[in-house]
Amino acid sequence: MRVPIRVTVNGEPRQLEIDTRMILAEMLREELRLTGVHIGCATGNCGACTVMLDGRTVKSCCVLAADVDGQEIKTVEALSSGMDDLHPIQEAFVENQGLQCGFCTPAMILATLALLDENPNPTEEEIRHGIAGNLCRCTGYHFIVKSIQDAARRLAAASPE
Amino acid sequence: MATSELLQERRHVGKRYTGLTNRELVAGKGTFVSDIQLPGMAYMAVLRSPHAHARIISIDSSGAEALSGVLYVMTGREAQEHMKPIPEAWNTREIGAKGVDWYALAPERVRYVGEAVAAVVADDKFTAYQALDLIEVEYEVLPAVVDPEDAMEPTSFLVEPEWKDNILVTRDFHRGDVERALAEAEHVASGMVRSERITGVSLEPRGSVAQYDSFRDELVLWESTQNPHPLRTFLAETLEIPETRIRVIQPNVGGAFGLKQPPFQEQPLIAYLARKLRRPIKWIEERDENFQSTGHSRDVKFYYTVAFEGDGTITAIDIKVIADVGAPTALLGWGMAFVTAYSLPTVYKIPNNRIHLFVVVTNKCPWNAYRGFGKDSASFLMDRVIDKVAHETGLDRSVVRLKNFIQPDEFPYPQSSGAVLDSGNYPAALKRVLELVDYEGFPKLQAQARREGRYLGLGIGQELTPEGCAMPGAVMISAYDGATVRVAPSGDVTVLTGVTSPGCGNETAMAQIAAEFLGCEIGRIRVIQGDTETCPYGLGNYSSRATMYGGSAVQIAATDLREKLLRVAARMLEVDPGDLDAGDGHVSVRGAPDRFVAFDQVVNQIYRHTFGEFAEGEEPGLEATRYFRMGNIYHQPEKQGRFSNYPAWPNGTAACVVEVDPETGQVKILRYCLVDDAGTIVNPLLAVANLHGGITQGIGSAVYEQLAYDSDGQLKTATLMDYTIPTAVELPLFEIEHQETPSPFTPLGTKGIGESGVGAALGALCSAVENAFPELELRLDELPLTPSRVWRAIQDARAAGDVR
Repeated sequence: MRVPIRVTVNGEPRQLEIDTRMILAEMLREELRLTGVHIGCATGNCGACTVMLDGRTVKSCCVLAADVDGQEIKTVEALSSGMDDLHPIQEAFVENQGLQCGFCTPAMILATLALLDENPNPTEEEIRHGIAGNLCRCTGYHFIVKSIQDAARRLAAASPE
Repeated sequence: MATSELLQERRHVGKRYTGLTNRELVAGKGTFVSDIQLPGMAYMAVLRSPHAHARIISIDSSGAEALSGVLYVMTGREAQEHMKPIPEAWNTREIGAKGVDWYALAPERVRYVGEAVAAVVADDKFTAYQALDLIEVEYEVLPAVVDPEDAMEPTSFLVEPEWKDNILVTRDFHRGDVERALAEAEHVASGMVRSERITGVSLEPRGSVAQYDSFRDELVLWESTQNPHPLRTFLAETLEIPETRIRVIQPNVGGAFGLKQPPFQEQPLIAYLARKLRRPIKWIEERDENFQSTGHSRDVKFYYTVAFEGDGTITAIDIKVIADVGAPTALLGWGMAFVTAYSLPTVYKIPNNRIHLFVVVTNKCPWNAYRGFGKDSASFLMDRVIDKVAHETGLDRSVVRLKNFIQPDEFPYPQSSGAVLDSGNYPAALKRVLELVDYEGFPKLQAQARREGRYLGLGIGQELTPEGCAMPGAVMISAYDGATVRVAPSGDVTVLTGVTSPGCGNETAMAQIAAEFLGCEIGRIRVIQGDTETCPYGLGNYSSRATMYGGSAVQIAATDLREKLLRVAARMLEVDPGDLDAGDGHVSVRGAPDRFVAFDQVVNQIYRHTFGEFAEGEEPGLEATRYFRMGNIYHQPEKQGRFSNYPAWPNGTAACVVEVDPETGQVKILRYCLVDDAGTIVNPLLAVANLHGGITQGIGSAVYEQLAYDSDGQLKTATLMDYTIPTAVELPLFEIEHQETPSPFTPLGTKGIGESGVGAALGALCSAVENAFPELELRLDELPLTPSRVWRAIQDARAAGDVR
């Protein structure tokens, strides 16, 4: 069965007809071609499908697409328009090598965005807890932690105060 | 040789560069196989065996076929009739081991939970999975063999009825007179050391998109693989079509760690179906399929007896290795057991040694390559043995290691397996890591913590990670690779390699090496990997070979072009080519840097003034394809089936500090230090990044990860909820240093770093937990160090009243 939904994705209002079996991650990937959303487990454990739903991070494999009617979604694609226009968090990950294969990275960046939004100056321990829902198998998180520390500095430097 | 001259002043090699692909990946603009969408693309789903061992009596697919949107249902009978068995990655039968005919779908019998039985192709994913439920398979359930030591009993049920036992292969390496040395020894100790089954868990599962163009007669497979060219060879053999009609493309790969080495059942399956149905098809592995069928490792048990003197000198060791490699297939995983035996007794010179290997098959998921590739197990065993000797003699753990190390001036050092260790400086690495961790100061810290009720322990781990494997007769596993370096008329440079990157950054090293030896700016270089149509033939990524072999091939190809460029530039500058230096986009006269021509000007002469005064006599074009062949591979088999198939021997020493909660058995890692020696480092940033990943996977397997089977051969841990890989919370920041003992056999001295960091973690953590309780006779010889295991060991040790 297909149902119509209205959502705002990365600032743009969208009307979609979607299969009721479809999860949000698939809707974003298949219907809207937002392939920065990755599916690593589809059981809510790895966090590679993390997106922002009404301003909070969710694992989009655990949300049915039909249930997001009327809501606002943000994916990593909203953060930059091109290679020369990266978000300060993305720049921090690039410069600190906070990634290897890049599969968990877009979700890790959104988790960072949510963390730094709530806590602009986190301790190492707070950073580790802030990204505990996002698995990375390549980096051992060392350079991710460093990237997030650097991102916090970059955002602080860019803020008006 | 010219190399050392050229590298008098290195501009790029040895420098810190961030990954070339970082920007696209942080933006979510990588292209992983699941991101590929083709017009009219159908979806494949695979029905897998729910039984560890069963005969397939019948398959009724009529219900599935009747479902609207289902295009085709295929079973093992069709695979057997229309396809060849899948070729072996690790030419098992050529080296005296037993093999099996493995088909894209099991025709008659399934040997593990997860073995592919049938496939559905449908218009979309939902329909494909719905149809799987409608396939009715009648099985006759057969007895499953789950425990390897049971499997070795003569009365055991057989995994393969045609085999007369469950032994895939044995090896018996020996040197000296072990029995006599044990009999005459001052001290003898023995023990059992064991690690549970683990797997790699790349965050991106496996996946394929296959498309057949009937007008071009071309099959294209986009595959999350490490080895596009060998996969093409395997597909050609299985499908019986010309290799030149197949193109394999590796998109971005979301981690592999060895587990994306072909050949899998789904690869020829999807290729066959795309060709048959004339529809592009996608298949993306589900996480539970990944756990059930992509491949496992470790699951190894050692029995050892060691003889030693009061000063810690080890005089003999007798080791029995029992490796449970699961069901036999075409995958190369069982080779890890071979490498475990081959690597022993690792970094130690033990005059009398015997390594008796039993590679045992069971009704579990087959082994497939995973980072560490058996070397981790060998290092783990030796760490446990050394700590045992230290415990028995009362000597310090570091003293026993220093006493028995092969010394830096003793290389090349032959081990009893036929292995010839190339180079190393083990004492220096150990001494340095002890400084890093403040070994001297630790007892004071430990005592102080104990007064606060905290149990701290310090552990030492020593790893040896032979790399660059070459197996006689294997198409995928060899010690060479190719590269093309191509300069366009603009001066832009393309580097194409036969090696690939599964996401660890070797493309960046390729660009550094090309810029270094060509003399261009690094920003002018684009690196292309993983396409059988555009890249030179090569074997891809495994055994930490990419920078070692691929980088060396880039170096010699770039050097060829450099020589031509310098000849032309020499005429332009009216000097001898030997007086020139090239770098960062300029060719200049040594000692007179104001006399130079731009790289682009020289290129311009070659392309646009081919018949002008400077390029006269030069062959047109600026493109070179060269292959690097490793020097120290010795394949002529010796007695006992020995040969030297690993040319490079990276190594490292770890020291870690843990805090153990005796009430819960929880182990918290407070510090982790590693001094790693992988020869010359091309990119210190990415090298360290690789070590972080290796250490973390070592820690994961040492403390958190375990694949559990029940007695019926059912896998009980097939989700990331049950199989718990480390999160950020479990880990400290790592403290890492490089020691560079260059390989004498690669032009830059590189050795490979991709698997480093894993092996030392296992022994280091066991050692650290034991050390947290110096008052107890605590032995932790089994992995993983789960809270229950640690707690139980503490309770047992306390109950035994072994208070020293």
